[in-house]
Amino acid sequence: MSALPEPLVDLMAALGRLPGIGPRTAERLALHIVQADPAEVDRLATALTTARLRVKACERCGALTEAQPCALCTDDRRDASLLCVVERPVDVLLLDKTGVFRGRFHVLGGKLSPINGVEPEDLRIRELELRLTAEPIREVVLALPTDVEGDATSSYLARRLAPRGVRVTRLAHGLPAGTGLEFADELTLSRALEGRRPLD
Amino acid sequence: MHLAHLRLRDFRNYARLDAEFSPGFHLLLGDNAQGKTNILEAIYLLATLRSFRGVGGAQMVRHDHKGYFVGARVVGQGTRQIRMYWSATERQLSLDGQPVRRLSDYLGVLRAVVFCTEDLQLVKGPAARRRRFLDLLLSQTHPTYLPLLQRYTAALRSRNALLKQSLVDAMAFDSFTQELVSVGNQIIALRRELVPRLSPLARLAYRRIANDAEELKLAYQPSVKTDFAIELAASRARERSYRMTLVGPHRDDLALMLNDQPAAQFASEGQKRTLAIALKMAQAEYVTGLHGTPPVLLIDDVMGELDVRRRSGLLPLLERSHQASGQVFMTCTEENWPRELGRRLQRWIVSAGSLRAVDSAPTP
Repeated sequence: MSALPEPLVDLMAALGRLPGIGPRTAERLALHIVQADPAEVDRLATALTTARLRVKACERCGALTEAQPCALCTDDRRDASLLCVVERPVDVLLLDKTGVFRGRFHVLGGKLSPINGVEPEDLRIRELELRLTAEPIREVVLALPTDVEGDATSSYLARRLAPRGVRVTRLAHGLPAGTGLEFADELTLSRALEGRRPLD
Repeated sequence: MHLAHLRLRDFRNYARLDAEFSPGFHLLLGDNAQGKTNILEAIYLLATLRSFRGVGGAQMVRHDHKGYFVGARVVGQGTRQIRMYWSATERQLSLDGQPVRRLSDYLGVLRAVVFCTEDLQLVKGPAARRRRFLDLLLSQTHPTYLPLLQRYTAALRSRNALLKQSLVDAMAFDSFTQELVSVGNQIIALRRELVPRLSPLARLAYRRIANDAEELKLAYQPSVKTDFAIELAASRARERSYRMTLVGPHRDDLALMLNDQPAAQFASEGQKRTLAIALKMAQAEYVTGLHGTPPVLLIDDVMGELDVRRRSGLLPLLERSHQASGQVFMTCTEENWPRELGRRLQRWIVSAGSLRAVDSAPTP
């Protein structure tokens, strides 16, 4: 038997299902919310539902957006011949923040994972192929994670896109920029050695 | 390198222990179930962050207590301070007062090789035991080996999961196969490089302990004979019926040959025990050769299993290690401690979770 009111317990359970929130944090947040100014809680509730209703995946690239298609897809100043393939919507933000990549994006929505039952049909690969037909894309840049599943997904895409004659590249492995060698682990260092190139 | 100070709190049957150890030979004497092996376990834990008894942290906490603490001062090139705390909800590891962020920064501060009765399984047991022996040695000596091995295991699990599906996407299958092959080939290369360096060390140790003419040889027996990719492709039909990957470093073995005959089948019980010790001796020598200082040797209840002749062959090997300012910890019961080892050793009496030094006067 819990001494806490049922709505409070429900709220804690709901918060506890959010990523990165354990039972302790859920309890603290719930206790804060039930004791807060009702207007403030109202604003939070409205913000939650509005955000969920208005933010959608872009039909074209899969990034998060309010407009269809998203601003990145409709921006004419972007190079339409370059397409960068990433795993998650947040990766788009990371790459865009660099300011170096001026092409367009495509979010796969995951990586091949036989262990978790993720197969090619579960990823947005059909959509990628449709874009290759519809848009003037000349190079596909694979920016997927470098674990086993990410690398296998990269080589899967390279195989699958090969017949289309589009150039497929992937991000380099190597040293973190602007730091000493001591900040790289042994595997990164050895990959950086393998990928060394002449200075010109 | 030697362990200068050991501090235990609520570790196994030790409520609190503070002990100073000099370099050299330490004999831990006591009846059964007094806590001799627990000391070795704590030292091994400091070196490798795991128990050689193959248990998790919870089993090492003293009964009815929350967590254990193990601390040490290690003297090698300079003096290092290690502090380790484990409980069900909290883990801490610090080196010289700084939390350890990357394991590769920590491993190597204290190196140890353990000899225990379980080692016999290296000779008698399945190939997995010998692969683990190679893996452990390569992880100790080759910083990129462990991540490679983890990557290989991940690729293997993915590929096996694909083989279990009724309809396999050929292109996805090829992609995971490519990962498996590229990582697998690096593992094979490192193992192939290691075994010929290990074999002469094991042969020498075996000859000294056994004191006879039997020739011990170690041979790497890779599952892949020439080309991993080709052999995988050739095994496709069998893979389909077994629904798992049948070729690769996960099927490797280390052959132990005595006079060119497989030891598991042809060696006597005594020869097998000797061989197991020789493998561990070779491991210690190999690590010494690479790093210049001998690892701390932890010897658990091994003497009782050897006849007098083999004991007299082993002891000089152990004694050599403290000539190079190394350190040996050996557990024994009162009855079977090697009295021939009278000179220059520190005896300790272990009883009910306490440790007491005994005058190191030579015994008659």
